[in-house]
Amino acid sequence: MIGIGLPSRHRRVSLAVVGVMWRRELLRYRRDRSQIFGGVSRTVLWLIILGFGLGASLREIEGYTYAQYILPGVITLNILFSSLQCAIALVWDREVGLLREVIVSPAPMLSVTLGKLLGGATIALVQGSIPLLLAPVIGVRFNLAGLLGAWAVMFFMGLLITAFGVVIASRMKTFEGFGSISNGVIQPLYFLSGSIFPLKGIIGGVGFLQIPEALREELRRVGVYAIGGGWVVQLPWWIETLVYVNPVSYQLDLMRFFLLGFQQLPMAADVAVTFALPPIAAVVAAVFMARSFKD
Amino acid sequence: MEHHAPAIVSTGLGRRYGDVVAVEDVSFEVGRGEFFALLGPNGAGKTTTVHMLTTLTSPTSGSAQVLGHDVTSEAQEVRRTLGMVFQDPALDERLTARENLEIHAVLYDVPRRERRDRIAEALTWASLVDAGDRRVRTFSGGMKRRLELARALMHRPGVLFLDEPTLGLDPQGRRHLWDRIEALRAEGMTVLMTTHYLHEAEACDRVGIIDHGSLVALGEPSVLVERTDGATDLEDVFLTLTGSALRDEEAGPRALMKSYAARGGEFSR
Repeated sequence: MIGIGLPSRHRRVSLAVVGVMWRRELLRYRRDRSQIFGGVSRTVLWLIILGFGLGASLREIEGYTYAQYILPGVITLNILFSSLQCAIALVWDREVGLLREVIVSPAPMLSVTLGKLLGGATIALVQGSIPLLLAPVIGVRFNLAGLLGAWAVMFFMGLLITAFGVVIASRMKTFEGFGSISNGVIQPLYFLSGSIFPLKGIIGGVGFLQIPEALREELRRVGVYAIGGGWVVQLPWWIETLVYVNPVSYQLDLMRFFLLGFQQLPMAADVAVTFALPPIAAVVAAVFMARSFKD
Repeated sequence: MEHHAPAIVSTGLGRRYGDVVAVEDVSFEVGRGEFFALLGPNGAGKTTTVHMLTTLTSPTSGSAQVLGHDVTSEAQEVRRTLGMVFQDPALDERLTARENLEIHAVLYDVPRRERRDRIAEALTWASLVDAGDRRVRTFSGGMKRRLELARALMHRPGVLFLDEPTLGLDPQGRRHLWDRIEALRAEGMTVLMTTHYLHEAEACDRVGIIDHGSLVALGEPSVLVERTDGATDLEDVFLTLTGSALRDEEAGPRALMKSYAARGGEFSR
């Protein structure tokens, strides 16, 4: 099934090969302190500095503080970086790294690709969990089910982005820095995913009204989320369109649902995109990767 | 039948990229246990020929068999039976020597219970026992090459392909590695290597000289010297056949990335 359109060598799956390639990605990650540092520093910059800084003006979004609102976004940003770094390393690996040794070996290429993708997804899970450690600081509480749900989304998001990155990497001949990937791929996907601005709803902007929590609960029950200078979000139609065509938006929305209980897009769309798209992308990545070795 | 077949048979092997002919009509045989060298200036088609024989590049004309298996239709059998050392190290530099060897053992389906012994054996063979748990990025060029050669032998290949095995090594490193290769020869291993160093080629059973993608000479080194007017050694033969014009190659992606790494680029570790 999975091998349609692939040469015979790519059809079989060897669990040992998947395992060793997966383990290789994790070892490489563990030994790259700059990546772990990047995950921590992005978390501090976005979640704490931007979260509390901009949160001073944007008091609340549908009852959540700004830092709370962007928590799933910061997780997404970490995943975008780690998955794309993992995938783009292929360009390097193919020209001056281990990959030639893998290609000349009898190992089935589909298993090699699967190991790579699962490795990228696992690293995404770890990197994505760094912002979660700061959840108590910004007052986010979730139960075990919420955590497991968020982890599932992180893993599938990592799978999707790594697969996407593998497709890009298989078309790159040479590599001169991660800057073009960061500016050309990561930032558009990040900004256009509802990560740092809401798609709809009511934003409360004025801070002089301190409402007791009990009263707030009561107001929420009747559908009033913000009072005192609140306004209704109205995005320009073209931004809205770009957000809707970005698959990351749906995964992020589902993650926000698991962590905050807040959702802006239809649940069915979220679930479908989150879990159905990554396996399809993985098959596409396998085809592209196999093709990039053909000379 | 397979048992008596030569180790390598290349019949009219050719590869073109669009209008550019990289290799054309290359025919030769390498017998079992033979030590064979492919010589040629830069860009002559040596590496493309080796890549076709090792299933990395598909031929656009002709055919080739390695130990009786066709490189196109039986690529999987060919891959299982050959050992390969690339021109540039194909190691994961962030991993240790042992971890690199472990990956090889899995890729070649070495039985799990034998893996430990084979890895220990390879490290001993490469004189890297003490460096086994060091990351490869801390290795010198000679250590990397020894590790790669030991790795290529781990699955007991029937034919060994070495693409410029001593390139970039200092005289000590080159001598050490060459002694290892000679030891393999004494054990009866079939070796096809490409090289720039003509005294290495002189030590081979037979050599083939490739220029502009075609085989221009084939035979025992001493016979080639005899046959060429005024030649006293293989270098004279080589220069007579290939001329003395300089061969400047354009930098490919690999060269570009290596220079990027040398300047301290990302992912170079």
